[in-house]
Amino acid sequence: MKQTENTGPAIELNRLTKRFGDFTAVDGFSLTVRSGEIFGLLGPNGSGKTTIINMISGLSKPTSGEAKVLGHNIIHDTRVVYAALGSVPQETALYEELDAWTNLSIHATLYGVHRSERDRKITDMLNLVQLYERRHSRVSSFSGGMKRRLALARALLHDPLLLYLDEPTLGVDVQSRRAIWNYILDLKKKEGKTVLLTTNYLEEANALCDRIAIIDHGKLVALGTPIDLKRRYGDTVMEIETASSVSPQLSAKLSILPGVSEVIQKDKILKVTMSGDELSLTGQLITLVTQEINIKKISQREPNLEEIFLSLTGSGLRD
Amino acid sequence: MNILNIYPAYRSLLVIWVMAIKDIRSSLTERAFMVTSIIIPINFLLLFLLFALTGGQAPTAIVLEDKGPYAQQFLSAMEHSHSFIIQQTTNTDAQNLMKKGQIVAIVTVPGSFDSLLRQGKQAQLRVVLNNLEVDFTNDIRRAVPLAITSFYANAFPNQVVIRAHEVDTYSHDTGYVQYLVVSLMVVSVMLGGLLQAGSNAAREYEKGTIKELMLAPASLWAIQIGKILGALLLNSLSVVVMIIVIVFLIGVWPEHWDELFAFVLLLMITFVALGSLIGTLVRRRQAVIPLSIGLSIPVFFISGAFGPAIWGDQVTATITQLQPVYYGIAIFQHAFHNFTTTSTSPAINGFILAGFAAVIVAISALTLINGRGRGVVH
Repeated sequence: MKQTENTGPAIELNRLTKRFGDFTAVDGFSLTVRSGEIFGLLGPNGSGKTTIINMISGLSKPTSGEAKVLGHNIIHDTRVVYAALGSVPQETALYEELDAWTNLSIHATLYGVHRSERDRKITDMLNLVQLYERRHSRVSSFSGGMKRRLALARALLHDPLLLYLDEPTLGVDVQSRRAIWNYILDLKKKEGKTVLLTTNYLEEANALCDRIAIIDHGKLVALGTPIDLKRRYGDTVMEIETASSVSPQLSAKLSILPGVSEVIQKDKILKVTMSGDELSLTGQLITLVTQEINIKKISQREPNLEEIFLSLTGSGLRD
Repeated sequence: MNILNIYPAYRSLLVIWVMAIKDIRSSLTERAFMVTSIIIPINFLLLFLLFALTGGQAPTAIVLEDKGPYAQQFLSAMEHSHSFIIQQTTNTDAQNLMKKGQIVAIVTVPGSFDSLLRQGKQAQLRVVLNNLEVDFTNDIRRAVPLAITSFYANAFPNQVVIRAHEVDTYSHDTGYVQYLVVSLMVVSVMLGGLLQAGSNAAREYEKGTIKELMLAPASLWAIQIGKILGALLLNSLSVVVMIIVIVFLIGVWPEHWDELFAFVLLLMITFVALGSLIGTLVRRRQAVIPLSIGLSIPVFFISGAFGPAIWGDQVTATITQLQPVYYGIAIFQHAFHNFTTTSTSPAINGFILAGFAAVIVAISALTLINGRGRGVVH
């Protein structure tokens, strides 16, 4: 058995379904994660993210459908997949009563890291996450951020091709979050690793992910790059401050332009909400306004992932 | 990079060793729990012994209104009946003790006892009985006539024409405590093994670290065997203390030390594996403790703890042969006292116990493996 080399997709999910009694947690979910990308799974609590991760990692058997990781069926080639997989579960799964070095040493044995390389690799990983000085401290004495960093070091110890990160910055402070983001970005940039992460933080997904899948009620709701998603599902708001009040005729003319969803006029302020390809539309709007009146100031607010997320998944509270 | 290119058997041995050491180190950091795991089995042993010491014989007051030789001989017969804890008192003191509930019976030897016997007349012994508990009551009802018979056989040897000629199977008698303590050791080994291994297994689920094990490309057989080994080594601490208590404190010296060590190891493997199985199934340490105690006590009572189980009723005797404690008690009674308490020989009992150990280790490992597919979490 050896760590697999993969040139195809890192993960292929084909109509993956998981039912718990009458409740369908994941419903015919299909997805492809390309090798070398950082892919984000976004969804509200209880949307099925962790269930999907558990099925991809073989910790939960799908009710139906198939999950292939690095070209291998996770059910049939479990150990081959595990050898190439690094995982940071939400709860970190560290032995908190033991020290950092021992945690990594146990992992090294479980993953078959050769004894001659073990100490060097552990040292390298602890240095990478800046915990080498604390190598003999019990993990229970670490902060949340330090534990996450140690869990990341552990996941990287056996040099995996693919990393699962389940809520990698949950409950960590801003400094630690930035540090973890940098490690994750470096994994892709310097080592070409594939990263699949779940997160509740839209800012995190925006900063890290090449592509994002938004899921809700166990189904894929949207898929694309952050820019794509904003373009497809987000609204850009252009705010135009004019020298004098805009006529109702101009407002009406603007509101019927294709791509303009709303025009609000208040004194000398004109707010135009645009959806779709806003680049050409922006030019048209400015031309029409300047034909009637002088423009003093223009500002444009980009759509953000949070608005898109809420518009796709609803704003109701989730358990 | 080939990370799994180490020879698989060697790699599995490494995993077993690392898991064992990991569990030992983890347990040692939780001192309170560690102490509990050692103390509870020893506590179990000592408390049951105390129960046996205090509960075996009926506290009885004897009032000798006659101090003659026959009365003294009768007192001696009662003292040697192994049924009473005798206190010789005055009638007033005896009544007070009875009122306070400190004795089960008052046996009064009347003032005319010696003279009546010398005249060949009938003498009445007054027996006042606190019959609130039928077991003790029946003890007195059986033991007083036996003491009278024994007295008669000694005092008037020519008048008692029927005598029992006893041929002993074993060269010496074995006391109740000496017999019971061996049975108690088996069930204490069981309790210690269940607690230690059950807690080690459940801890992985409680703390979420089971994911690290489940996601590793290592053999789950090796992981579970490693956990069993770790619990076995920890459990051996309480077993060593138990052996010291039994041999040096209670004074029960094993007849076959080699059998003792071989079978104690086999028993520990069996119960530690069973503990791992329970911990893997219930996944909570809080549930492991009551389950272990709840399992050990009934099994103890049906497995021939107080005497060979095959002397009991047939249904119980048949049921008890389906579980390892029965064989454990049998081979320990042989190791300590050279006793045969089952219809099967000690060697066969050993093989059966080895079979139990192998099957339970396998089920325990398969349960962990099955858990990978069924989902560590949902």
